[in-house]
Amino acid sequence: MKLLAELSEGIRISLDSIWTNKLRSFLATLGVVIGISFVVLMGWAISGLDNALQDSINLIGEDMLYIDKWDWSGGKKWDELRNRKNITYQQFKQFSSDFNSAEVIVPGITNWGATVKTNNVNFTGVSIYGTSADFARLPTGNIELGRFFTSFEELRNLRVAVIGSKVARSLFPEQNPLGKYLKIEGQDFMVIGVVKKQGTMLMDFIDDRIYIPIGSFFNLYGGKLDRSLSIGIKVGSRERLDEVREEARGIMRSIRNLKPWQEDDFSINETKIFEEIVSTFRLYVWGIGIGMTVLAFIVGMIGIMNIMFVSVAERTKEIGIRKSVGANNRSILLQFLMEAATLCLVGAFTSIVICSILVFLVATFLPKFIPETGFLQPFLPFEFVLYASLVAILVGLISGLMPAYRASRVDPIESLRYE
Amino acid sequence: MNVNNLNRNPLIELKNISKVYLVGEEQVFALRDINLTIYPNEYVAIMGPSGSGKSTLMNIIGCLDTPTTGEYILKGINIRELDDNDLASIRNKEIGFVFQMFNLLPRANALKNVELPLIYAGINKSERIERAKKALISVGLEDRLTHKPNELSGGQRQKVAIARALVTNPSLILADEPTGNLDSKSGEDIMRLFHQIWKEGNTIILVTHEREIAMNAQRIIRLRDGRIESDELNPQKVVFESVEE
Repeated sequence: MKLLAELSEGIRISLDSIWTNKLRSFLATLGVVIGISFVVLMGWAISGLDNALQDSINLIGEDMLYIDKWDWSGGKKWDELRNRKNITYQQFKQFSSDFNSAEVIVPGITNWGATVKTNNVNFTGVSIYGTSADFARLPTGNIELGRFFTSFEELRNLRVAVIGSKVARSLFPEQNPLGKYLKIEGQDFMVIGVVKKQGTMLMDFIDDRIYIPIGSFFNLYGGKLDRSLSIGIKVGSRERLDEVREEARGIMRSIRNLKPWQEDDFSINETKIFEEIVSTFRLYVWGIGIGMTVLAFIVGMIGIMNIMFVSVAERTKEIGIRKSVGANNRSILLQFLMEAATLCLVGAFTSIVICSILVFLVATFLPKFIPETGFLQPFLPFEFVLYASLVAILVGLISGLMPAYRASRVDPIESLRYE
Repeated sequence: MNVNNLNRNPLIELKNISKVYLVGEEQVFALRDINLTIYPNEYVAIMGPSGSGKSTLMNIIGCLDTPTTGEYILKGINIRELDDNDLASIRNKEIGFVFQMFNLLPRANALKNVELPLIYAGINKSERIERAKKALISVGLEDRLTHKPNELSGGQRQKVAIARALVTNPSLILADEPTGNLDSKSGEDIMRLFHQIWKEGNTIILVTHEREIAMNAQRIIRLRDGRIESDELNPQKVVFESVEE
């Protein structure tokens, strides 16, 4: 009860004193405002990144394995990887007939940087992706408009194309692309479907893809293109991932005629790798951010401490009066600690307001110029508002400790004589 | 001293109190061997020239300071054994200060100022306001509750200070030159108020160097060079005993 009365009195005094010295308080909290802003903005960027990552993982599916010549993790030497033999269509055929423990197995072969044409538009930077009809059963094969090609069309090597949303927008602006034709390597392909827009930060290349039956791909490029296939395996559940990976590895080794002492000449990739990439990136953001934040907080704390010392000196008489009517050392200590904490909390509040406005503007307008920043959210994550406030209180308490201690030790006799 | 007090327990007992300050290497005695007993509902003036030790004595009686040697017993509690926090609590419960410079919080209104001791006593808000109002009404400031000190005259400020001293119902009102900063008319006003407070049963110790002010008290103690020079009943107030001036 007593503590409660003192606390509410403390808050009242603090706000009163901040309000009386508006400019001084503002300048004193500037460092804290900057520090808090760093923390909040970092949190905002990272949480946007995490959401984008989660979207990408959801998009690919957490239960996907990709047998590939290339290693996504980047842990292996590039020239070593290059010397691996390509995974061929025959090997894929063999694999899919030997391997039964997966939901879906699809081949994928890509020609990057291709150019496609319609009568009046050229569009470069497209990936032509040869695959099977089963691709439609993967999360990435979600169709927005029309349909995916069927196994009949696949077996017949028909020239049909399912296009990414960006391709659709660029080639057929404001038209229904279904039934239209586009030219790849001089050959006409009929558009039969449009894939749902993916557009997440890590996976937006999917919007630039054109899917065609794998046989049509080989007809198109034949021997000209020395490309390795990738085999996509949808396991069905994340729990079975390890088991299926080992089985796939065994079968693949036997298909590739590897001797027991030889290393794998292929990689089995999974979405976990995205998490690793992002966590590295996150580390960079934190690394830079923490350095600046710590610096800002140190400056901020010095500011607060300084102003609190001034405040204690100015109010020596007040401390004397309070002590003479019965305030003990702890009450005075508490009062000045609370003042420092309140000062910082007001700083945090200011910073949150400023950052909210900033974040809203940036997330609304920046992606219009730099589409890659589309993962940014127009609001601050709530937990960071909470952390910021707690950090502010902590900073206030730490920087207020010395001044408050000095205030609590003020001799009432001396201070009452003080004019 | 007063025959009326013989059967009662003393409020204050000072036994062989000394206060020594170190000035460089030298010991300076602010108080030497003070013995003093004050009973409830006495009205005592402590007089003396500056440097006589009356401020030091007031600080010790008011539990703002502790003696170097000797015993100070307030309502049976030995003050020498208490630490800072206990002293704060004693000041809060037992003592009401009235200062020459009023010592009000400049940014708080009259009501808030009077509430202050009750905050440290841990009394809830509604009761605080009620008691602070009552105290202000008792000193005649019912129409000045929300005025800040700079909106009040000197006499009114001192009345706010008196209300603040009274609001905790302390055992002892300790007034240090309460009229020192007032014109004579306001001074008389304040002294009338003290008289009334005393009549209501309070114990008052008045520290002053003005004889006229001291003559309001029932008992007059004179200090010189840190010693009690004289301790007499005031003939103007006490009719049963004749004491030479």
